[in-house]
Amino acid sequence: MDAGFIKEFFKRNGVGMGWFLIIAVGFWVVVLIILPQISMFDFSFRNDLPPPEIGGPKDVYTLKNYQYLIFGADGNPDGYNKTDLAVFGKTLLAAAFVTILDLVLCYPIAYYLGQSTGGGMARLFVLLLIIPYWINEILRAFAFRIIFGDSGVINEMLMVIGIIDNPIDFVRENIALYAGLGYAYILLMIFPMYNVIESLDRNQIEAARDMGASWIKIHRRIVIPYAKPGISSGCTMVFMLSAGALAAPQILGGPSSLWFTQIIYQWFNQSVNWPQGSAFAAVLLVTCIIIVLGVMRLFNVNMGDIGK
Amino acid sequence: MKTDSLLIRIGLGFYLVLFFTYLLGPLVLMSITAFNSPSFPQATPWEVLTFEWFNVLYNDARIVNGIKNSFIIGFFTVILSVIMGLAGALVLTQIWPKIRATFYTIIIAPILIPGVVLGISTLVFWDRVNVMLGLPNDSFLHNGILLTVLGQSTFIASYCMLVFVARLQRYDLGLTEAALDLGATHTQAFRKIQLPFLAPAIGSASVLAFLASFENYNTTTFTFGKYPTLTIELAQKVRYGINPSISALAFIIVCLTVLFALVHEVRNRRVQLAIANGAPVGAVTSGFKLPKIFAGNPVAVVLALFVAVAVAVISYAQFYDPEPAKAIILQEKRAAQQLRIEELQRKLKDKRLQKNLKGPDIFNEGKSKIPKLEEKKQKTPFGSGIFSPNNLNKVAPGAETPAPAPKPASPFGSVFDPTNLNKVAPKE
Repeated sequence: MDAGFIKEFFKRNGVGMGWFLIIAVGFWVVVLIILPQISMFDFSFRNDLPPPEIGGPKDVYTLKNYQYLIFGADGNPDGYNKTDLAVFGKTLLAAAFVTILDLVLCYPIAYYLGQSTGGGMARLFVLLLIIPYWINEILRAFAFRIIFGDSGVINEMLMVIGIIDNPIDFVRENIALYAGLGYAYILLMIFPMYNVIESLDRNQIEAARDMGASWIKIHRRIVIPYAKPGISSGCTMVFMLSAGALAAPQILGGPSSLWFTQIIYQWFNQSVNWPQGSAFAAVLLVTCIIIVLGVMRLFNVNMGDIGK
Repeated sequence: MKTDSLLIRIGLGFYLVLFFTYLLGPLVLMSITAFNSPSFPQATPWEVLTFEWFNVLYNDARIVNGIKNSFIIGFFTVILSVIMGLAGALVLTQIWPKIRATFYTIIIAPILIPGVVLGISTLVFWDRVNVMLGLPNDSFLHNGILLTVLGQSTFIASYCMLVFVARLQRYDLGLTEAALDLGATHTQAFRKIQLPFLAPAIGSASVLAFLASFENYNTTTFTFGKYPTLTIELAQKVRYGINPSISALAFIIVCLTVLFALVHEVRNRRVQLAIANGAPVGAVTSGFKLPKIFAGNPVAVVLALFVAVAVAVISYAQFYDPEPAKAIILQEKRAAQQLRIEELQRKLKDKRLQKNLKGPDIFNEGKSKIPKLEEKKQKTPFGSGIFSPNNLNKVAPGAETPAPAPKPASPFGSVFDPTNLNKVAPKE
């Protein structure tokens, strides 16, 4: 069966094209996707050794990098590595919060665009949506830092109006971070939803309205169930990207609050303990995959819907 | 019923305004800071219109070098990702159905894997390969450009693959079969039939890939080595001290984006108009007739206006000189500063008088100077170096003398930098 398939493949593409396709895809899948991930997992079970000792007698597998994440360094009085675990939990919660924020913010506009007739107004909106997405991620975060700074526009405005006397530290309160993260992934939330809602037959909504369904009921019973693949696809992407974000927390995060990716970054660039960093990265990857698969199972959507 | 729909409409309008304020407000404000003179990027309070930050940006060697690296990396990433994405899409259309879902999951996964993880795994993997091959520590496998291209292509190829899959869904396989029946080789059939059909998708995939590569931070930050890209340089600047030259760069990028978006939209509308009028697309897209593109195409008008404004601003910037206005602001600031200092001194005198009435206190005499200094430091609301506390102290003793008259405006931006100010102040 397998051999037959390969023969068929070469018959369809010719020998030259066939080999080209196999080499290109093989390089991508094996050398760029699978092997690096395996080697990262492999590395995360090793000791942090100087290069000459790699492959030597000390180069054995160990669980200590993972133990460190859970229990902390040896002789830790707390019993658990509270700092890192707290950051990990906070990152996931904050990512979930950003996802929900984006969903609430984007659903109305996705519905509006999807159900509009595609006139000049809707096209203008799409254009306006895309423009911020083309601006560099760092610059977007920078813009939020200008706005939320001590002498930023929001503080100045609030003080002029007289609501507050002293500037609010939005950065320390993490408001700047949530606003910046939510902003960064708006488009990734809107487009999957928009694509699905666009294909919804408007007659269904008309029929429901004629039969006396209220505005809320129409959305709850017709639009949202229909748009489920788009909603979950958008949520998945926003959640993964905000949990894995690095630039926005570095620029907008408060001094006392870290993002889990920042800890990974520190292991690599400041402490130069690669196996430890790899272990943290592996934990992040596996947790995100589990959460996403769980949510997909919960809402009954499959992988094929993602990226549409 | 009618009031209900009116209410919804008002609500919708309000929501749309709010939404687009959130979306575009930050960009607009950031652009404004590029033209304001304080050295900390701020839109309020507005001081003087200035173009000097563009000059600062242009003379920043690290930014220029970052742009160069970004283009090199972007170029190779586009080539690699488009090739791999195209191959992936072609294989996906003809792979054995039973493993199609698995294959799709594998090649879509890089989009969902956090960029940090991709960067780390690329770095670790090629480091291992390097050790296994017994190459020296500074071999080509540790080259920042190579690693960045490989790391970025891993997920950018997935984006490209999605673009190609969408296009291939509309491809009629019968065309390739017809070509083969007529005696073409497989390569010929691909090159002459399928590739031209895919050409627009290759174009948009390349643009997408380049943009994704240009703005990537998470993966690149682990792999760049000795070749920092523009994004890396920007992140470092933003994290460790910011000045409006970054706003200037952002403004340029915003303008370029708007320009490209408008050009794209104009072309789209022309084609649509042509199709609506029953003309063949080629007839409209080939010839360039100036008056005709404006006909019934408001976007073209906006585009023309946009270009005109840009040209006007640039030519205005050539002879615009913010120095006189800046000097006035400086004077105003000093006047305000002096008033405040005099007031403080008066208050202190009053306090001292009151204390003297209560009885002489030798110890307080010495102490009272400390809060005075501190108070002055806090009262400087300007983040700019011009009015840093040190400068202030030098000016303060001559509180009675009027503020130094501004030097005649000169085209050189350095006349009013803080060091010059120090030289001027004691003389007067």
